[in-house]
Amino acid sequence: MKIVAILKQVPDAEARLRDGADGVDLGGVTFVIDGMDEYGVEEALRLREGGADGEIVALALGPRRYEEAIRTALAMGVDRAIHVETDENLDPISQARVLASVIDGEGADLVFVGGKQADWDSSALGPAVAEALGWPHSDWTTRVEVRGGTLSVTHDADEGTEDLELPLPAVVTTQQGLNEPRYPTLPNIMKAKRKELRKSSLADAGGAEPFTRLLGQSLELRERRNVILTGDPSEAARELVRRLRDEAKVLAK
Amino acid sequence: MIDFSLSDEQKQIRSLARQFAREVIAPQAARFDREESFPEEITARAAELGLLNVGIPGSAGGLGLSMIDEVVIGEELAWGCMGIYSILMASELGVTPILIGGNAEQHERFLGRLSRGGGLAAFALSEPDNGSDAAAMKTRADFDGDDVVLNGTKMWITNGGIADLTVVFATYAPEERHRGVVAVVVEKGAAGLSHQKIYGKLGQRAAHTAELVFDGVRVPRANVLGEPGDGFRIAMRTLDRTRIPVAAGSVGVARRALDEATSYAGERHAFGQPIFDFQAIQFKLADMKIGIETARLQTWYAAWLVDSGLPHTEASAIAKTYASDIAFDAANEALHVHGGYGYVDEYPVAKLLRDVKLNQIYEGTNEIQRVVIARGLRNR
Repeated sequence: MKIVAILKQVPDAEARLRDGADGVDLGGVTFVIDGMDEYGVEEALRLREGGADGEIVALALGPRRYEEAIRTALAMGVDRAIHVETDENLDPISQARVLASVIDGEGADLVFVGGKQADWDSSALGPAVAEALGWPHSDWTTRVEVRGGTLSVTHDADEGTEDLELPLPAVVTTQQGLNEPRYPTLPNIMKAKRKELRKSSLADAGGAEPFTRLLGQSLELRERRNVILTGDPSEAARELVRRLRDEAKVLAK
Repeated sequence: MIDFSLSDEQKQIRSLARQFAREVIAPQAARFDREESFPEEITARAAELGLLNVGIPGSAGGLGLSMIDEVVIGEELAWGCMGIYSILMASELGVTPILIGGNAEQHERFLGRLSRGGGLAAFALSEPDNGSDAAAMKTRADFDGDDVVLNGTKMWITNGGIADLTVVFATYAPEERHRGVVAVVVEKGAAGLSHQKIYGKLGQRAAHTAELVFDGVRVPRANVLGEPGDGFRIAMRTLDRTRIPVAAGSVGVARRALDEATSYAGERHAFGQPIFDFQAIQFKLADMKIGIETARLQTWYAAWLVDSGLPHTEASAIAKTYASDIAFDAANEALHVHGGYGYVDEYPVAKLLRDVKLNQIYEGTNEIQRVVIARGLRNR
């Protein structure tokens, strides 16, 4: 069985982002492998440790700096990696087409990808890859089991969880709760340097025509209101409860 | 050629150490400090990840990391807890004399064992009555046929008694002072070896510090590093190197102090504004930053000298002294920025100050370092 784990590189959760002259200023930001994608890498490793034979390939589509995230996956235990290097800003649907063409070329049986992407919060990539490949998919998955040619999964649905069975090949989108990703060990970091990291381009993957065009980016800043309730304590308490209920909507009516 | 960039691999190593410090060490640091207990699980986990004894060469089954790698890791781990980092650092300190003075057979027998088993090493030089004046040591080594017999007491030994291997420095000819010192490897559980854990330390309370008592401990002569008489030189060459990780750890503590102080200064308000907006606070934070950046440069420089096989005694003395002094100041100012809250254990800054005080003392006091630096000036 060949497993492909798609991954992105995103700003560290503790990074301080700022609006810059041309979109979001990423200077001085530490980048890490997207935590959601890391669950996919981990799950692929666990499937193999659980007895599934075969190869695990990390696949990334993005700028040169993604290499660090790819190395993390290699150090975690992935066998080799493919990096479709581009600085172009592609929407999830066009990304999915490029990724699908690589996955198709690899003859993969199972694809893992994060349930959503931490940087621009899209949940579209996984389903779009499945669509482009014409494969079934399970989203927001919290349990994965391979039984012969079928996949048994548990995933989140609107009002609880569902157990599904789907034939391979398939796409699984991952999320918190699926597993606890391992740290790449130091010996594996050293070994990772000798693993294959194949560079490829959009042209190799048959080119990509973005469906949407990016005009600009800016960050949504949460501003404090800086309201201080003064006066009679019981009045102030009533006012606080009213604001929590009617404005912040964190208390039930 | 000057190049301050880290390789991709070094960035990965740093990011692993950072993540381990942030997710595993830091959340537990206060507990081990309070309980004064040994973080067994964290140490085992560090060993599993390959963060323990990183200097053991590939020929003995280790990773053979460079000194630059080691200081990059050290800064990150000490950010999480200086006391816990000291456990790993002291093990590296125990490994180093074997690296420097040991032959191929000893490398395989001792270092191979550590890299396979994940055990700790220790370094036993100081005694109850002498530290900086190491040549005044009283612990005896007597040669008896194929054995060396040790009698005496070693003091302030990190990992003392719990380490798989301890490099012990003892004298077989006290009148010859430093020329009469032998370095010998003693294995855990040797008959006549006992230890007493030292309680009541001001800081670094997660690290196990002990008094080691040698009562007729007999080890084969094959455990002697180099020749009898090489012991003192081996000890000094070891410390010339291992002071650099002390500097790295100090930079880590200073960075943590700045992180804590900056974050608190942004939250705490006085006179209608965050205290960060007062220049009195800004100057403190800026001074911490100046100390961190310059101490790191000197630390990396000293590490680079080691990796390049160049003389590094002076550079490592400067790095250790300067980094531990700026780190002490940073922790002190960070505590001050926190006001009353800095004086209690609710915030981690009081512990930073308690922990980092030791960095000015161990592996050669900062006074001894200044003596070393000044000695170089006199000879010019």
